[in-house]
Amino acid sequence: MPDIDMDAPGKIVLMMGNEAIARGALEAGVMVATSYPGTPTSEILPAIADVAERRNIYAEWSVNEAVAMMVAAGAAFGGVRAMSSMKQNGTNVALDFISTLVMRGLRQGGGLVLIDSDDPGTRNSPNEQDTRPVAKWLDIPLLEPGDFQEAKDMTRWLFELSEELDSICMLRCVSKISHSRGNVILGELPEIKLKPKPYLPLDLNMWRGVDSHAFLHRKLERAREIFESSPFNQYLGPDRAELLIITCGSCWLHAREAVRLMGLGDRVGILKLGTLSPLPEKLIETHLEKAKNVLFVEETDPFLERSVMEFFASLPAEKRTNVFFGKRSGHIPAYGEVNPDLAIEAIADLTGETYVSRDPAYNEKAETGSQKEVIPRSGALCAGCPHRASLWAIKTALKLDGRDGFITADNGCNGGAIGPSGFYLAKTLMNMGGGAGVADGLGILDRFGFGQPVIGGVGDSTFYHACMPVLLNGVWNKSNFTLVVYDNSVTAMTGWQPTPGTGTTAMRHPADVIKIEDICQAMGVRIEICDPFDLKATTGTMLDVIRDEDHGPRVVIMRRECELTRARREPRPFEVWVNPALCLGDACGCDRLCTRVFRCPGLRWNEVTGQSMIDEVLCAGCGVCADICPVGAIERRALEPEAGDRTREVAR
Amino acid sequence: MESMAKGPKELFEEVINQGLCTLCGACAGTCPYLVSYQGRIVQLDHCTRSEGECYQYCPRTHIDLDDVSRKIFNQPYAEGELGTFTEVLIARASAGSIRKKAQYGGVVTSLISLAMDEGMIDRAILTATDDDKMPFPFVASNRTEVLRSAGSSYMACSVLEAYNRLSREDHDKIGIVGVPCQVLGLSKMKMNSPAHRFNIENVSLTIGLFCTWALSPNRFQQYLRDHLNLSSVIRFDIPPPPAERFDAYTPNGCVSIGLDQVKEYRMPTCAYCLDMTSEFADISVGSAEGLPGWNTLIVRTKAGADLMDRAKSAGLVETGVLPDENLTHLKKAAWNKKKRALKEIVSRTGSQDNLLYVALSPQMAEELLK
Repeated sequence: MPDIDMDAPGKIVLMMGNEAIARGALEAGVMVATSYPGTPTSEILPAIADVAERRNIYAEWSVNEAVAMMVAAGAAFGGVRAMSSMKQNGTNVALDFISTLVMRGLRQGGGLVLIDSDDPGTRNSPNEQDTRPVAKWLDIPLLEPGDFQEAKDMTRWLFELSEELDSICMLRCVSKISHSRGNVILGELPEIKLKPKPYLPLDLNMWRGVDSHAFLHRKLERAREIFESSPFNQYLGPDRAELLIITCGSCWLHAREAVRLMGLGDRVGILKLGTLSPLPEKLIETHLEKAKNVLFVEETDPFLERSVMEFFASLPAEKRTNVFFGKRSGHIPAYGEVNPDLAIEAIADLTGETYVSRDPAYNEKAETGSQKEVIPRSGALCAGCPHRASLWAIKTALKLDGRDGFITADNGCNGGAIGPSGFYLAKTLMNMGGGAGVADGLGILDRFGFGQPVIGGVGDSTFYHACMPVLLNGVWNKSNFTLVVYDNSVTAMTGWQPTPGTGTTAMRHPADVIKIEDICQAMGVRIEICDPFDLKATTGTMLDVIRDEDHGPRVVIMRRECELTRARREPRPFEVWVNPALCLGDACGCDRLCTRVFRCPGLRWNEVTGQSMIDEVLCAGCGVCADICPVGAIERRALEPEAGDRTREVAR
Repeated sequence: MESMAKGPKELFEEVINQGLCTLCGACAGTCPYLVSYQGRIVQLDHCTRSEGECYQYCPRTHIDLDDVSRKIFNQPYAEGELGTFTEVLIARASAGSIRKKAQYGGVVTSLISLAMDEGMIDRAILTATDDDKMPFPFVASNRTEVLRSAGSSYMACSVLEAYNRLSREDHDKIGIVGVPCQVLGLSKMKMNSPAHRFNIENVSLTIGLFCTWALSPNRFQQYLRDHLNLSSVIRFDIPPPPAERFDAYTPNGCVSIGLDQVKEYRMPTCAYCLDMTSEFADISVGSAEGLPGWNTLIVRTKAGADLMDRAKSAGLVETGVLPDENLTHLKKAAWNKKKRALKEIVSRTGSQDNLLYVALSPQMAEELLK
């Protein structure tokens, strides 16, 4: 990662979109940045936090996005420029506050910018969501960067706009921009000499009722005026085009690439909007007059498409001469990521031009080849991951219990409980806190005769983020469920960010450790703390806890550090190998338990010998597989003195 | 052999889910997928094998009694009431201390202890009960541990699971005390040695118990918990007819429960069992009706006869002749169990041609169904 705060205006630096956003905020003189980890935004906050000390500004990992948003807003009220960054689901969590904030304004304070980066294609999210309609819905000015330079420049400019309008402003990004890298020309970094001084006039908006809504609309009209001449809206192409592409965001790159490859630059025009809401209507009108066919290329919802068509419907009849194509017409799918091929196909259909991007014979070879050679793989827990051991113990306990119990899963690595890595133990996976919340809901059904044990499974970071109210609710209303907190002492999935339990902050200051068990104790629930690598004890505890059903929820904390954080500090604890004299392979008595069911990536099936073997590169040396082998064929030797003190129990 | 082609899927379909499982434990503890737990055979995970030892050794999958008999006794199945035997007698432990703790004559305890002392076996797999009176199998290595097992719990116990858990590297000689279904499971293992496990040739002594039915452990244990203070119970006893009682002995005396009530907790599978006297053991032992403090013994094999000789010459057991009346009565009871079972089987399958897991000669089947 380059030094985000390098003092080199004009220098061209290769930057990730998220880094460019961070740089843009610094160039705007941001003083407070908050966030909660969430792909694809997780790099923004650390980029600022790493330079915060020397720039005399403040960066915070908040407990969740609602808190992050409120903290940033509070700072803005205090007269400083503030920013909060979050993924689409995070914006959902912050919405209650945002929806109130827009009615109040920023109290004549500093600029406040919301960076929302969406995850089209659901690579790293429980849902696919285009968050842009939120801005339109809540009357928030919205920009979307088309490349890395714009990611920086828009972020920087939004603080100005925010202060001029006394309104929160939103930048909507996507994974492709956030996580890719491109050239960015740096701007100047201001020297910040501002002392927070809240102006905080009497909040007349509280008393205005609907008039404050009308007032908000007037702010938007002012924004629209500004947007009409914004340099973030660009047109490239002939004066009168056979086909007008209206695009935004990363689809600008796809549209340009498509047009270039097809050699249609003199026939197809590309109008790229950077300021999306409110729509710069005059600009749109000008371009609509110069083309008949209009193709919208955007990701993911037909947001721009609908906004433009809505405006189009308001035009007088003689001006309504355009024909629109996009999601509605099926030219671009309204789900998933867009790519140049999709743009090419759409343009080809509308212009009658073809473009063959790949020789069909080669295409077929590639398809059949990949079907043969590319092994379909689901997501898997890392070798050595403590969640695998936790889930193994839970699986055994649920089977012994015999009442068809199951897990309701949550976000994070432990969400693997829903797939083969987690032995398909989980039946649902929802939002942050949903693992606990859904368990709470199923747990109150026992009074109607629902007899299946319910285990809500959540990570440690998720516990702090969303589960405390759920647990409190379960205790108060006496719901029958077990809350398992997989405490690997880090926010793992998003890149090992700290939590209130890890003793550090975003700016690497030491912090008090707020233990999960102490919070639970305050709620008065039964708490058990297990080491998941001690399979026998953990299984016994789980069995006891799921059957302890008469006093509301109980908590089991599965405490063992994430393997990847541990491995950074320490060598592997065990040397592990499979003894070929003992391994039964797929014979009766084993049926490939370790490679077929347990499935740690460190274990491999050798088709030639018909036995298991350890993959010496992937094996983390945790030694847990030695405890599950039914015949003790997996052997281990402690490499570090303390490593050998775990009780070894062969599964038979 | 027919059952070779089947595995865990069929075990559950044909036996366990059909209420035929006796909880003998023959399928449990041999692999990571099947265990016996709190009165159920639990499948911890999915096994993909189409054939397995679990199905093969189950005493409720296909069994040809001639084949078993040829293996154990070198002769076809004896179609009489008591199976193959060389002698029937009564006996009791000479040591008063054993008789005091034991069920009836304490013969099983004495024989096992002797077999250990004489080196016929190194360890024995027996049943004990925990503080909640739930039976569990355990491996005894010495006389003190053997005494721990004295006394019957009347509930099914997965003794063979403890056998299955013995290590392949274990070269000790083992004795096993079991009920008829367990002895049958063990006999099936003797016919087709389990691969990759403890060498079945090292099971050098099998003592079978007489059994009419066993009680379902989780259901009956719950019933006991609800009606008795279990921690004060020393032992249980079902006295012979016409008593119709289930007795629980405590330091303060005896609490009796009506036998009819207790019979509600019988394992359903016992209704389909033809073997009252553990016909494939080395020695079978039961009570002696009308002779309190004595056991009835049926000696069947050379190993069994050997052990009895040693016990007699060591003065550890007193023996006696089983009165004719008792023998007649024993044979009648055993025959009646076969009749009842076959009738139940035919009533369940609807056809005399489908005898579920049992293969009998047509003559014997006809005789029993008369």
